[in-house]
Amino acid sequence: MMEMKDILEQGLLEKYLLDELSTEEAQRIESALATNQELRTHFQLLEADFEKMAFENAIPPPAHVKSALVNRLPASEVRSMPSSWLWIAASFVGVFLLSSLFMYTKWQSAQNELDFLEQQSTVLQDRLELLEENYKLTNNRLQIINNPSTIPFVLTGNEKTPNSRAVAYVNHENRLVVVNPKGLPPLPADQTYQMWSDVEGEMINMGLLPTDKDLVTLKYIDHAESLNITIEPAGGNDHPTVEQLISAVTLL
Amino acid sequence: MSHYQEDVAVISRIKNKEKDALYLLYDKYSGALFGIILRICRNQTLAEDLLQETFIKIWENIHGYDSAKGRFYTWAYRIAKNTTLNALRKSDTLIQTEDLGVLKDKGTTTTEVDLNRLNGAIKKLEPHHQEALSLVYFRGYTHREANEEMGVPLGTFKSYIRQALQLLRESYKSDLLLIWWLFEIVV
Repeated sequence: MMEMKDILEQGLLEKYLLDELSTEEAQRIESALATNQELRTHFQLLEADFEKMAFENAIPPPAHVKSALVNRLPASEVRSMPSSWLWIAASFVGVFLLSSLFMYTKWQSAQNELDFLEQQSTVLQDRLELLEENYKLTNNRLQIINNPSTIPFVLTGNEKTPNSRAVAYVNHENRLVVVNPKGLPPLPADQTYQMWSDVEGEMINMGLLPTDKDLVTLKYIDHAESLNITIEPAGGNDHPTVEQLISAVTLL
Repeated sequence: MSHYQEDVAVISRIKNKEKDALYLLYDKYSGALFGIILRICRNQTLAEDLLQETFIKIWENIHGYDSAKGRFYTWAYRIAKNTTLNALRKSDTLIQTEDLGVLKDKGTTTTEVDLNRLNGAIKKLEPHHQEALSLVYFRGYTHREANEEMGVPLGTFKSYIRQALQLLRESYKSDLLLIWWLFEIVV
């Protein structure tokens, strides 16, 4: 190892600092510095003095040198990585938000459609029930009318209502009377048609005949000999007003 | 934290490729380094390019810097000096074939600073001490080139340098004493 005295006297520390030494010489100085604390202190003082001298003679460079440097340096890897990840994350969030909004709108419209269809279905259900009811009624009536044991009787009007016409379907087996009052002329609001059975000279109430109905089911009276229609005050009467008899038919 | 420790922290950030850390060092050292580069090459435009080049090299070669071997400034100074001398060698060959003296003329006219005038402690030295130190430190001469420039034997030149450094050290030491003394008075 070179003597510290030699190094100092030959001015090798200065030359080392100024980068004037060959690689081998520089390495020798470096290893001497690494092992010799006193030499290292000499070098540190020399460095400090040179640096101080440089600062005392500094010349500030124009600002555009720094901006040129900033422009020349490659995009920082360390910083660009997280920001690019942030951008990716942000775009994912954006896509997620957009698709969520889209899905929500879709869901809302599907929900509306479903509500509408449910309403429709309820309406259809109601109509179906109504039709079923109507069908049952109609079928029931048809069954009654078409039954072989049902006997139709036509009640034509007398001189009071010459154009009136009602049809009574009587089934003795089932003890059923159904009347079609459609052919009876309409009455004022304070009057109604009423039907009676004649049983051994006594008129027995069978029920009212509203003219707005297709078929009216009336009370079946045993041993009735004839069917009679009278015009009575609205709401019906306990006893027939014989003067107002408009039609009668014999069952026997 | 001392300015030396500060540098170590900043440099580890540069090793981590943080550009902001490089700009911190630029703000701190660009003036000192530009003073060296400009005094060696004597051309404002070229010096600006070379300063930029120096910091690009610092950025790219920061892993080659070992704080155990010396200060960051010493390392950066060597880069600045060598970058400038290499550029001058290149342009010298160009000048020989093309336009003689372009470099030297341009240098003195474009800069507003008197490059031959030095400031601070070195200014107080004897002219021959001043010149010897200036040649090797601010002008990029080797000891051998400098002693020829001054027209003195190498041995004499070396002793000029040693004396100059000795005087410089004393000057800075007395500055420190003055600061210490002022500090004591204030406290």
